[in-house]
Amino acid sequence: MNLKAFNRALWVYHLNTGSCNGCDIEILAVLTPRYDVERFGIRLVGSPRHADVLLVTGPVGRSMEDSVRRIYEQTPDPKVVMAVGNCGAEGDVFHEAYSLVGPIDQIIPVDVYVPGCPPRPEAIIEGVVKAWAKLETLVKQGV
Amino acid sequence: MSVLTYGYAVWSPIVWLVVLVVLGLIVLYVRSRGQKRYKKGTAQTDVFISGVQVPPAEQRHVPAHNIYWGFFEALQGFYDTMMRPHTGIINDYILWLVAIVTLTVVVLVMTG
Repeated sequence: MNLKAFNRALWVYHLNTGSCNGCDIEILAVLTPRYDVERFGIRLVGSPRHADVLLVTGPVGRSMEDSVRRIYEQTPDPKVVMAVGNCGAEGDVFHEAYSLVGPIDQIIPVDVYVPGCPPRPEAIIEGVVKAWAKLETLVKQGV
Repeated sequence: MSVLTYGYAVWSPIVWLVVLVVLGLIVLYVRSRGQKRYKKGTAQTDVFISGVQVPPAEQRHVPAHNIYWGFFEALQGFYDTMMRPHTGIINDYILWLVAIVTLTVVVLVMTG
């Protein structure tokens, strides 16, 4: 992948909207020495205001709806949203549960879906690469 | 340039001025390398506190009372006791004064 427009390290903000932590553990696995994505400049940051990518897990509980929307709005443009795991993509076993307002794309626009319960670290890395490519396109479009 | 030397340290205002200028230039350089992607006037410049709605600036201050929360909490029993006789009514305070002066006089007279 040849990045011309978005030629800097990719910073990711991880947002858990009610996940069982399965996906979150796999996200941490991506950062461990076995996969070590930080060597490519991909790192988790503590604020969406520093982030290029929102990495969202969980099926979005009712109490998280406002927070998810607010965090999305606080992320500077251009930004890409990744839904990691089946819950975030379509609710999985919690689909249409009374306490949910998700999946994530019911609240904020999602650019990349990474299915799995939980997805393997390789799948998450591939999703991040797709997000990176999407950012490249957005920057070229001047978003 | 006047240099005051006393044993093991040197003080020179010119050196400090140069240091400050160099530090200022470094700060300006770091600042110029910062993000410029923010859209002013949108939520992108709002304070971030884990996605919680942040109140307006005038309601965001932390009063000094909050700093002493633990202090007040620990001495709550003492304050409750002390606040009960402090009614704010001048008649009550005069009554306290008369009672304590009377008690003092009685104790002085009794003990000789």
